[in-house]
Amino acid sequence: MGLRSGSREMHQKEHTGTSGLYMGNHRSGSSSNLVSSLMKAWRISSVGSPSPPRQHIPPLDTSFSNDGNFEAISRQHTGAARKSTSSPLRYTSPGFSTNGNNVSRGESPRPSKSHGSRHHSSGNGSRKNVKYFKDLDEDWSAVIDDYNMPIPVMANGGVASPATPKATRSSSITTTPSNSTTGLASANATFSYPQLPHLQKSLSSELRSQLEQENERDAQELNSIMQRIAKFDAILKNKHIINQNELRQISWNGIPKPHRSVVWKLLIGYLPANSKRQQPLLKRKRKEYCDGLAHIFSDQHSRDVPTWHQIEIDVPRTNPHIPLYQFKSVQTSLQRILYLWAIRHPTSGYVQGINDLVTPFFQTFLTEYLPQAQIDDVEKLDPMTYMGQDQLKDVEADTFWCLTKLLEQITDNYIHGQPGILKQVKNLGQLVKRIDRDLYEHFQKENVQFIQFSFRWMNCLLMREFQMSAVIRMWDTYLSETSLDTATSSSLSSDLVPPHTPTEQMKATFQTPTKDFASPSSTSGIGGDEIARIRQSSLNEFHVFVCAAFLIKWSDQLMEMDFQEIITFLQNPPTKNWKDSDIEMLLSEAYIWQSLYKDATSHWQ
Amino acid sequence: MNSSITSVKLVLLGEAAVGKSSIVLRFVSNDFTENKEPTIGAAFLTQRVNIGDETVKFEIWDTAGQERFASLAPMYYRNAQAALVVYDVTKPQSFIKARHWVKELHEQASKGIIIALVGNKIDVLESGEERKVAREEAEKLAEEENLLYFETSAKTGENVNEVFLAIGEKIPLKKAEDQANQQHGLRITDDQRIDLASSTNGPVKASGCNC
Repeated sequence: MGLRSGSREMHQKEHTGTSGLYMGNHRSGSSSNLVSSLMKAWRISSVGSPSPPRQHIPPLDTSFSNDGNFEAISRQHTGAARKSTSSPLRYTSPGFSTNGNNVSRGESPRPSKSHGSRHHSSGNGSRKNVKYFKDLDEDWSAVIDDYNMPIPVMANGGVASPATPKATRSSSITTTPSNSTTGLASANATFSYPQLPHLQKSLSSELRSQLEQENERDAQELNSIMQRIAKFDAILKNKHIINQNELRQISWNGIPKPHRSVVWKLLIGYLPANSKRQQPLLKRKRKEYCDGLAHIFSDQHSRDVPTWHQIEIDVPRTNPHIPLYQFKSVQTSLQRILYLWAIRHPTSGYVQGINDLVTPFFQTFLTEYLPQAQIDDVEKLDPMTYMGQDQLKDVEADTFWCLTKLLEQITDNYIHGQPGILKQVKNLGQLVKRIDRDLYEHFQKENVQFIQFSFRWMNCLLMREFQMSAVIRMWDTYLSETSLDTATSSSLSSDLVPPHTPTEQMKATFQTPTKDFASPSSTSGIGGDEIARIRQSSLNEFHVFVCAAFLIKWSDQLMEMDFQEIITFLQNPPTKNWKDSDIEMLLSEAYIWQSLYKDATSHWQ
Repeated sequence: MNSSITSVKLVLLGEAAVGKSSIVLRFVSNDFTENKEPTIGAAFLTQRVNIGDETVKFEIWDTAGQERFASLAPMYYRNAQAALVVYDVTKPQSFIKARHWVKELHEQASKGIIIALVGNKIDVLESGEERKVAREEAEKLAEEENLLYFETSAKTGENVNEVFLAIGEKIPLKKAEDQANQQHGLRITDDQRIDLASSTNGPVKASGCNC
């Protein structure tokens, strides 16, 4: 119980803290007590408790005698689905179980049987952990309550397409355990929601009242979704100056689909917060992009053949499983975006993986041109069937500028030697050593090096590990975590030097007056301290915590594997059925780790 | 029945998009995908083949081809016993890159490393595309540098298994007593064996490897 009050204290401290600034930006707090008790509880659970019922994995050599790698992989997948017990902090997410319980929420993901056996078999410490994690979650929701948002999840736009049960269902998934008591039953009801009026006639009154209750709950959820959309509307519409901090706070928990395109452009610092300046800026930047293209394809510019060629072979093999990226119009756009970016940033140049990073922007910006009911079809439709050439060019330009903004924050990842990535890989190792020493030591014993599996995680921001829809939800949070440097520093005071990247000088002709990216509102009332904190909260750092949470999620399974199984598993993690709720769980975990292990990152900068 | 296993650490090197991952995919699961996502960092796969009474287990690191990732390569070839240096027979540039890799391997990798030079994508020659790297040129390099040499098509499967079999044959097999410590109860059945006699020409059937 000490843990319980400890965690409350910490969070309260954060909320009653300094300003209205988003929690992510002032998560320091004196959490050392909490850390040590957590570590203690951790130790008890991982060392003291008998191992949870684990599926026995036969020694590799026998299991591999008859089949190739791929069968082994698929076996691991099913094995993974079966063994969904894990220590409470190594949470199990709903979508992880492939056998049907995907609609569960909150704490319910763990199958009751294994949950129970875990309870009985594990010692006191583990029990503590169960409590502990729940409490953190409660606090997590409390954070959201501060902002008048009963349900923190709103990723699919929900209300935008009420006709599809799918939308209703996924919007009912939430990470808020305050709802977890409703559990499966309610989720199921949500599933069949559109048919309820018919069903009711033939049902017993008891069942009916139950259904009515659930119906009401659904209505509440829908209501909260609408509230959430209204909240975004309130921030975005009819505002002379959009409050960037407010937008970041709310966006961290997911952006409704209809708002996503605009919000991303604001978060990344492409669109100015001053709404009167938005249209002129878009017009100018789009023209600038076209001029840039005209220049590099003119006689004055000799084609960089190796770069062009490399992009040319990579574009058709970008997201090969998504129909959108097979359309000629789309491939031509991506080719131009990537080539122009590479030419404008010769220190980095085109690096494989950047072709992945461009796509979430591109397809999200396309949705602006689709009717709301069709937003989900963006991955299937040829843009040329619903928009004109000029509009596609606009999407292309916006994508280019937002990609540029994103890559500015992670320049070190792609320059020679990729020092940014190497550093992140090292930080990940150190972090895992602190958070899950058993796993770290197991990796050492098996000679697994972090770079062998996490290089790709850093190089592609985990994009290869998830389906596109999950990636896009993840980016709601990631873009809310982007450093405000580019957005604020220049407006803070005109003599502050904007962040200087090695590529900066090369952009001379493309340079725009930085005031366009400034957001007066985001600096108003922010003192030097806050700015410093904002600077510290970088996408790179948060990403390492997400990677740590992602790795530790599989800890129980990985502990049972040898080198070959570990690498194979991590190359093909079973995330295919991950839903927004799973991603949100992961992000929440990463956020918690980040606040608990803040001290670990002090020397990262 | 002899059931000794020899593990072979093998690394693939070569310019981007010459078909390294496709060769591995063909070898490991007898499959082919037209547009494979570019490899980032490196990918790890394994496959076993039976050569005579011996089982050779290939532990394969398939590295990313783009120049920017080249600094990672030493980590993967450092302890490798074998390497496939792959180029595209229609891309002269990729052959130049292959020469560089061969040189680097001879200078940096372990002394006894077995290197196979592999010219991939010979299937496109039949559909009318022009060969840009002459067989003779590659053969000459192979002879000078003491390399195995194959021309393959990951798409059709032609010669892919042969490369690995040839490497497997050149690997000094471990003695049975060395193996005693490493046995994990492997059973090899006769139908898994690769019939070397029938696989000298043309595409190898799926039975050639355990996929």
